[in-house]
Amino acid sequence: MTLAIELQDVSKSFGDTKAVQHLDLEITQGLICGFLGPNGAGKSTTIRMIMSIIHADSGSINVLGTTALAAKDRIGYLPEERGVYRKMKVGRFIKYIANLKGMRGSSLHKTIDDWLERIELPDVRNKKCEELSKGMQQKVQFLAAIIHEPELIILDEPFTGLDPVNTKLIGDIINELHHKGNTILFSTHVLPQAEEICDRIVMIDNGLKVIDDQIDTVREQFNPNIVQVVPLHPNVDFLQFEGVMNQGTVNKDGEINLYLKDDACQADVIGNIASTIPIRGIQVLQPTLTDIFIHQIAEREGSETAEKTREHLTNA
Amino acid sequence: MRKTLTVAWREFRDTAMTKAFLFGAIVMPIFTIGLFIIVIPLLQTEDEPLDGTVAVFASDDVVTELQLLLIESKSPLQEQLEQLPEIVTQDPIAKALLTQTTKSTITVESIDETTANEMKSLVLDGTYLAYINVPDSLVQSVDSEQELTVFIPNDFANDHTNFITRNAENAVVNARLKRQGHDPTTVRALLKRPNATTMRVQEDGELAKDNEIARAILPIAFIMLLWIAAFTSGNYLLTTTIEEKSNKVIEVLLSAISPMQLLGGKIIGQAGVSAVILGMYGSAAIAGLVTFALMDIVTFSQLGLFLVYFIMGYFMIATMMVAVGSAVSELSDAQSLMGPMMLLFLVPMMLWPVISQHPYGSVAITTSYIPPLIPFVMIIRMASATEPIMMWEILLSIGVGYIAVLCMVWMCARIFRIGILMQGKPPNILQLAKWIRQG
Repeated sequence: MTLAIELQDVSKSFGDTKAVQHLDLEITQGLICGFLGPNGAGKSTTIRMIMSIIHADSGSINVLGTTALAAKDRIGYLPEERGVYRKMKVGRFIKYIANLKGMRGSSLHKTIDDWLERIELPDVRNKKCEELSKGMQQKVQFLAAIIHEPELIILDEPFTGLDPVNTKLIGDIINELHHKGNTILFSTHVLPQAEEICDRIVMIDNGLKVIDDQIDTVREQFNPNIVQVVPLHPNVDFLQFEGVMNQGTVNKDGEINLYLKDDACQADVIGNIASTIPIRGIQVLQPTLTDIFIHQIAEREGSETAEKTREHLTNA
Repeated sequence: MRKTLTVAWREFRDTAMTKAFLFGAIVMPIFTIGLFIIVIPLLQTEDEPLDGTVAVFASDDVVTELQLLLIESKSPLQEQLEQLPEIVTQDPIAKALLTQTTKSTITVESIDETTANEMKSLVLDGTYLAYINVPDSLVQSVDSEQELTVFIPNDFANDHTNFITRNAENAVVNARLKRQGHDPTTVRALLKRPNATTMRVQEDGELAKDNEIARAILPIAFIMLLWIAAFTSGNYLLTTTIEEKSNKVIEVLLSAISPMQLLGGKIIGQAGVSAVILGMYGSAAIAGLVTFALMDIVTFSQLGLFLVYFIMGYFMIATMMVAVGSAVSELSDAQSLMGPMMLLFLVPMMLWPVISQHPYGSVAITTSYIPPLIPFVMIIRMASATEPIMMWEILLSIGVGYIAVLCMVWMCARIFRIGILMQGKPPNILQLAKWIRQG
């Protein structure tokens, strides 16, 4: 399978800070991959190295069979730090970036108009960029990144600062581009978003890769063996059931997490509970990316750090 | 190359096609050209005739002399115009502008006995244009301690005041001469200084007419043009680079083009801006030369060499400006790096008197090969020199200068590549040197 991005043993330091450490990464063409991690994990540094904006201290980077510098016209990039020429009109700004990406010709104007309509900004073409709201500017920048229909699209935190409606709009466009066969790598520290879109996830923390796999495989690997039950009556002692090791507290929706023993069979426990007490619902709890990420951090850095990270991710 | 030109066009368009630029670089030179054409005719309208009576308390011979002088004398403007160089007054365009002056009609009334206070009120109410009091002792002896006094109204024009005063003074001198038995006209004719023409003898025996005007005007004009055009666009380079950094658009650009393409585009774009400024101000300067018939003071070879040194100077200034712009995040941060740089460019200005007085001296020759002083020093030398600078010197300075330009572009590119993505505290000179090594 052809690789869109290939990183081998890539490291980058800024002074004493090791931003990225011995990172290996292979992203096949046509894949949509989430590049995850908390703020300061090294995501943007890695992306900038992939884009040849900064250079790695060691290791090799291959993008679309060459370097990003040589393949710039085939790559669309939305940087983490958004920027526009404030005094430039929106249409001219997009045209300028499109020109720099090698797009020419009279059809460019129509392409820009069509895309502005698609991102629900049909009337901003002749407005100055500074007249747009922050969210609108972000959509304009997203458009500037994809207008030349690149083979590889790299989006650094594409949803930051967008309201839910626009988050969905951009998410839909990303999905469309993916279905057209474009390779998409996007970074985010908001893990649920990645969960909705990605085929595959790569997680890094403190510059080290901690997870790199298909999302379903990751879920299987990190099965927490938890069953979530919603009893009709809240005061039930679930420890009486065989295989249940621990019982969580009741949340606001009346749900209780039951932590099973390692050798317990989830199907047997569910069947046993359902046939014994009246319940409104019961299911095997799927691990979220947040759970998986926290689990990883807890394994490497201890539970205290993991809880701090969970808090950080929750507030993000 | 196409991407570089795309950047260059944006840089040019966003700088040169703005109202501020159009005013500064186009309207101002047009206004300057207009001054040459409009101001001199306007001067004529200020030359209002002086009609009326001047009261004089003086001996008869002084009064007679004053009457003669006022009848014969020219208007104040005409006297000033006649002091202009022949090269101006003989030019058809300038001549057409300068010849029309007005004629004054003044009568002189001798007053026998009066008091200063009475005359003051008569001057004030307009009965007399002026009252002149000439003590006879002043005519008798040059050692007299008494003074010639001229009373005029408060709103009397300066040139009219000078006109009356000068003629009164001359009337006293004429009277003195006549009392000594001399003819004032003959004496004045004898005292008139001849105009000297300086001919410089060349090494080949040929004679060359010395042109002091050219040697005075040309270096100032050329340096001003270089300074205005190169530093204006250099300043734009500094600010646009900082702007691209501060509004974070730089990373979008670097995802589409390499830092070298961006740098090249910016410098080429601003070179276009610089060319427009040079063209406009240069045209204004040429218009001035044509108006005053001084076109012969500048030769095509001088213009050609000026262009060569201008391009050299532009690239030296541009690379320094863009390097500083890429290294800082705020315009205020740029000041600390700009200070030493500007001092460097001020060195030729400080050495100007030495270089222009001694264009073949050791200071002039030494600084001719020290970048980035080369373009400034060579322009001053070429324009000030009484005989052409040796060709080998010119070629050597051009060679050294353009090698320096290449080195500066190389260093600038290395600083640019690192600095353009840096945020936060601006680097000092030592850190910039480190970036050059690392880049």
